[in-house]
Amino acid sequence: MHIPDGFLDGKTAAVTAALSAAGVGLALRQVRRELPARKVPLLGLAAAFLFAAQMVNFPVAGGTSGHLVGGVLVAALLGPGAAIVVVTTVLIVQCFLFADGGVLALGANVFNMGIVGGGAGGILYRFVCAWIPGIRGRVTAIVFAGWCSTVLASICCAGQLAWSGTVPWPAAFTAMASVHMLIGVGEGVISALALLAIYRMRPEMILDGDGGGASVPASRFARTLTPPNGGTTGRAGCCSEFMRYGLLAALGVAIFVAPFACPWPDGLEAVASKLGFERKAVHAAVPAAAPDYRVPGVHWAVGATALAGATGTLAVFGLGLLLGRMLVPRELK
Amino acid sequence: MSAAIEVTDLRYRYHDGTEALRGVTLRVEPGECVALLGPNGSGKSTLLLHLNGLLPEETRPDGAVKVLGQPIVRQNLENIRRRVGLLFQDPDDQLFCPTVEEDVAFGPQQLGLDDAEIEARVRDALERVGLPGFGRRATHHLSHGEKRRVCLAGVLACEPSVLVLDEPTSDLDPRGRREFKALLRRIPATKLIATHDLELAVELCSRAIVLDHGLVVADGPTLDLLDDEPLMLEHGLERPHILRHRHPH
Amino acid sequence: MQNAEMAHAAASGQALPFCILHSAFCLMSALDHHHGGVASPVHRMPAALKLAMALGIIVGTVTVPWHFRGWFVGVAVVLALAAVLSRISPLFLLKRLLLLSPFVLGVALVNAFQPAAQGSWLVVAVRSGLCLLTVILVSNTTPFSKLLRVLTRLRVPGLLITTIALLHRYLFVLVDEAERMRRARLSRTFTRRRRARWQALATVVGQLFVRASERAERIYDAMCARGWK
Repeated sequence: MHIPDGFLDGKTAAVTAALSAAGVGLALRQVRRELPARKVPLLGLAAAFLFAAQMVNFPVAGGTSGHLVGGVLVAALLGPGAAIVVVTTVLIVQCFLFADGGVLALGANVFNMGIVGGGAGGILYRFVCAWIPGIRGRVTAIVFAGWCSTVLASICCAGQLAWSGTVPWPAAFTAMASVHMLIGVGEGVISALALLAIYRMRPEMILDGDGGGASVPASRFARTLTPPNGGTTGRAGCCSEFMRYGLLAALGVAIFVAPFACPWPDGLEAVASKLGFERKAVHAAVPAAAPDYRVPGVHWAVGATALAGATGTLAVFGLGLLLGRMLVPRELK
Repeated sequence: MSAAIEVTDLRYRYHDGTEALRGVTLRVEPGECVALLGPNGSGKSTLLLHLNGLLPEETRPDGAVKVLGQPIVRQNLENIRRRVGLLFQDPDDQLFCPTVEEDVAFGPQQLGLDDAEIEARVRDALERVGLPGFGRRATHHLSHGEKRRVCLAGVLACEPSVLVLDEPTSDLDPRGRREFKALLRRIPATKLIATHDLELAVELCSRAIVLDHGLVVADGPTLDLLDDEPLMLEHGLERPHILRHRHPH
Repeated sequence: MQNAEMAHAAASGQALPFCILHSAFCLMSALDHHHGGVASPVHRMPAALKLAMALGIIVGTVTVPWHFRGWFVGVAVVLALAAVLSRISPLFLLKRLLLLSPFVLGVALVNAFQPAAQGSWLVVAVRSGLCLLTVILVSNTTPFSKLLRVLTRLRVPGLLITTIALLHRYLFVLVDEAERMRRARLSRTFTRRRRARWQALATVVGQLFVRASERAERIYDAMCARGWK
């Protein structure tokens, strides 16, 4: 989902950059305040871990393979704030060293994969953890949060591409969302398996006081031989800091996605022209008013994708519960 | 004259309850070079981490460890770490800066020296370890032997009076080992070297201490200790080949 | 629609085996590109200047309207000149440029359904290609620590800089460990069933994190041992 340069126009790049700067700034402040000194190198190592883990290829079918993106896994282990910092670091290095993702598109990539993927994903994870306690809850949570954040990030990406006029919204939304609904399943499942592997080695990294892994108590020589009693219920969601990431993600969704989902394009056009956006850009951004898109059934496709997304959410949650039961035998609880 | 290192009845327990050190007592005089021997899991690394206050995590003022006459308490940690140079087992853990000169300069920078002095110390340290002109090299590109030498340079740049080394020659090829031993021989500081390399112990260290199951089981001149085959075998070591052809003169 | 979906799947870089080679290739070549000793005028230019020029080129290329062809031609000439002067192998540059193609292909396929926008994919491809070439040239002629120093001067927060520096330093170490673990795991996985392989690979990922966090503790100790506060 790394958007290269040239696919986003100036205004989209600027808006995403502003949102991302705000989000990363918030995350850095939170991390600086809450992270104990001995965990500072862990941020860098977690970033290297994320990068390295992304190179492990999981065979899917007929020569294709998938891999972990990992924002939600890091959020589960270190908390949403740290996850945002870690994902941002990885994206910056990928952009400048590997030219993977554009320089001006960095804002968009950080927003999609960092703030939505890591931040919002982390918040979702905590919500579900608070709802379903114990390691099974963690598994369900990471499957669900992984899927949702992947799909949501892809929808934001589609919105950004459409807003820039590069790809019309119906095509962008349908293609990105449908593909990432599949990819999201892989992401959720792989994250869950990795989480369980870590739990078997170091249970205290997954289950700790505030029910979400905000701090990794990887104390030297601390090998707890039996897992703590059943995990805690956690107070996820009451932390106002995390809500700020959620709000930021919601703001982005509102900017990039709502105009297209909004059934009143003319009203929107009026607002946009008042704000000074070019008419040309508005036309590109509001596909219902653009009659030259002649692919038959395109609006049907958009609707179908949206419906698939809604039912997919429930289905994936069910999958998460199922995996929790399957992968966590009684004695591990 | 106070000892360089004085450890009195040191005890330490891991978080899961296992006892790592069960009452270690030892003494190293200034200028000595002492080998710390023992099988894996005997507590050598744990002991070394106590010598500059990295363990226990909350320093307790019970005075079990004294370095250069000073007990290790929170107030003088800074001072202790200035005087004790610790070389870790895995050079990758210690070489955390992107370039060699930045890494060697890390210690002097923390000491608050000015730029000219830092530059001089870096140059000097790199020359002492035989890597002049390596300043600009990227750390992740170095060979294992070079990494170990840069780590040593980084420690020497702080000009410590006591040098504590954890397995300095493990993973080195024979030439690397020879060169590193030659380097160590030239350093005048007090040295405590935890090692499995029994030949190094024989060649460099006048005294040896054997640690097993968290206790000191032997302490004496290196040659006598290592020549005592039953003692060596009992504690997971062996009589080194270098002594097999030793003539008693 | 299926083609567009596939193209977008390719664009997201996850469905083609080609993209597996992409990441490994990129990693090896990018981390080893400083053989230390290429002395070209481009290598010698100060990093801040190179970055500023690169940013200028990228911003211009993205925002200048397509009918100002002169800009794009000019940029292409400058980049070609820089590529020649820097003595980077043109084959290397071409290979890196090709890795952009999935995304461009995706957009092209999708826009193929829109007759009014037939030519627009060419615009996108040219803009993208020029920006990509700029970044490739800068990153291959500038040592990473210099890039970090420029970022520090730009008042990027210290915590972020430290994290980036540590990522760069330990990336190869972790990739090495991951590769060794993967080989060890798979050599003890005798079934071709996908579930077992996934389990093995997920364990590698999990173990990698545990080892990374243990190493982070040791790095903290090493920093404190040399006086860090």
